[in-house]
Amino acid sequence: MEPLSGPGARSSPTADETALDSVQFGEDIRHLISVPTENASSFTALLELPPNQAVELLHSPESTRPDSSQQQQYQPPQHFNAGLLTFPTNAALIERAAKFSVFAAEEDLNNNNNNGIGSPETNSAPSNSSAGLHKVVKTEPAEPVAYLNSSSVASDPTVATKDENQRTNNKRKEREKKGKGFSKKSKSAANENAEQLPYVHVRARRGQATDSHSLAERARREKINARMKLLQELVPGCNKISGTALVLDEIINHVQSLQRQVEVLSMKLAAVNPRIDFNLDNMLAAESGSLMDSNFPAVMMPIMWPEVQPNGSRQQYHQQQWNFDVVPQPAGGGWGREDGHNFITPENSLLSYVSSANSASLNSSQLKMEL
Amino acid sequence: MASTMISSNPVTNSSANSDRSKRKKKRKAASAEQYRQEEALKWRTESQQQIYSSKLIQALSQVQLNPSSPSAPRRGRAVREAADRALAVSARGRSRWSRAILTSRIKLKFRKQQNKHQQRQRIVSAVAAAGGSGRARKPRVSVLRLRGKSLPAVQRKVRLLGRLVPGCKKEPLPVILEEATDYIAALEMQVRAMSALAELLSGSNQAAGSAGSSS
Repeated sequence: MEPLSGPGARSSPTADETALDSVQFGEDIRHLISVPTENASSFTALLELPPNQAVELLHSPESTRPDSSQQQQYQPPQHFNAGLLTFPTNAALIERAAKFSVFAAEEDLNNNNNNGIGSPETNSAPSNSSAGLHKVVKTEPAEPVAYLNSSSVASDPTVATKDENQRTNNKRKEREKKGKGFSKKSKSAANENAEQLPYVHVRARRGQATDSHSLAERARREKINARMKLLQELVPGCNKISGTALVLDEIINHVQSLQRQVEVLSMKLAAVNPRIDFNLDNMLAAESGSLMDSNFPAVMMPIMWPEVQPNGSRQQYHQQQWNFDVVPQPAGGGWGREDGHNFITPENSLLSYVSSANSASLNSSQLKMEL
Repeated sequence: MASTMISSNPVTNSSANSDRSKRKKKRKAASAEQYRQEEALKWRTESQQQIYSSKLIQALSQVQLNPSSPSAPRRGRAVREAADRALAVSARGRSRWSRAILTSRIKLKFRKQQNKHQQRQRIVSAVAAAGGSGRARKPRVSVLRLRGKSLPAVQRKVRLLGRLVPGCKKEPLPVILEEATDYIAALEMQVRAMSALAELLSGSNQAAGSAGSSS
């Protein structure tokens, strides 16, 4: 450990460290397995290693024993400063990787995982085998991270290894988040599944009971709260009120007012709708007009008038009928425009009820004002 | 996510099948929430209003009390029933209140035939006159009962709401809330459509009236 940490002082962080750092672990484990010498340092100690040291480890197995030699130290940086961050595709390394069944087995398992964890460090250039190496190497941080929670944090003095520690920290945080998030997800899954399944095994959220009764209660309450929220959004003015009873009062009032409005409108329609065929003729009138604009240009109003009248004797017959049954309205010169407006609405008929309702209500208010 | 669910939670059932089905159900339940919200919003669409208004016009044109009984209240009630039925049809029978509205008429006729010679006939005709809502049957008894156990105020209000929404008198709370959501959205659409129709008809009446009077 000491010989390895010795040259660490001379490390110079480069931009290419990140990829190299990942190789360290692979190297380290390989060393542990194959070369149980003094250079098979502990994992934590290796984390302190600067990238040059890692490179040295990388290259040393090819040529000589992994002894720290000053010469080899300066060779590796040349490789990596020269452009792309590609690991030298060393047949020896690949062989070594292939030899150890650990990696081979892990490769299969971790290839799936590591596609997500990803390798921003691996550039496009590395070959498939070295990419596989990267992947393999990166899985190790994922696994041993759990064991090294505190130690890796503690043993990170240098800038060089900061990146890799950040990565490990990130991965650890990821896993923790996954764990916490999953417990929450499982809880919500349980809540929603409780609606469908009788027995749900879940991990409870922090500070909540896991009793089956309380679980069911909680599920039921959440269901009810969700529905209440929907209702609150629907009924105007319920958002500010807090408390179920008051909100329910508002909802009841709203429903009653809506029902009363329907009653009033139905009375009005009954008064206005004396004939069975009334609506058919209305539709006929609608078809006669070709004005589909929702803007109701005032100029077109008087033009529409004469078109309607000769549409059929039936219509005139009904017009006369209307005079009897409809509440008599005063006719005036100033009404021409509004009447035209109202007459346009049948032409729009069913197509734009909202806009016509708005304009019709506007017109009716105008009418009432003139009254 | 799939791998973490399986691997990192030893408490859940270990069988992958149950996990998968749970996940599917969770997704369905989560989407069910959104579905209900969208359902309530469907009543606001233009197309829905068109569908309803066309059905309404058809129903109104078929209302047959106009020539026979000129009394305004009865005609109004008939119009209201027709409008409610048109609304229930527009709901496509997916909600309890719509089914209750549609079947209430049939139930009424059924009960009329059954209780011809019984004391209930009076009540039934009163119900029929009252618009077939069925609410007029035993209003006082239920109100007294509710006052008796008025301690859970929320419970009392929920029962009241359940009586307002057709067909939801005895349903549990979550069902009532769901039905009320749909019913309120539908009622709003009904009010919009009917007011537009009324304006339309009254407007054309005025127009025809003034045209007829002027010509």
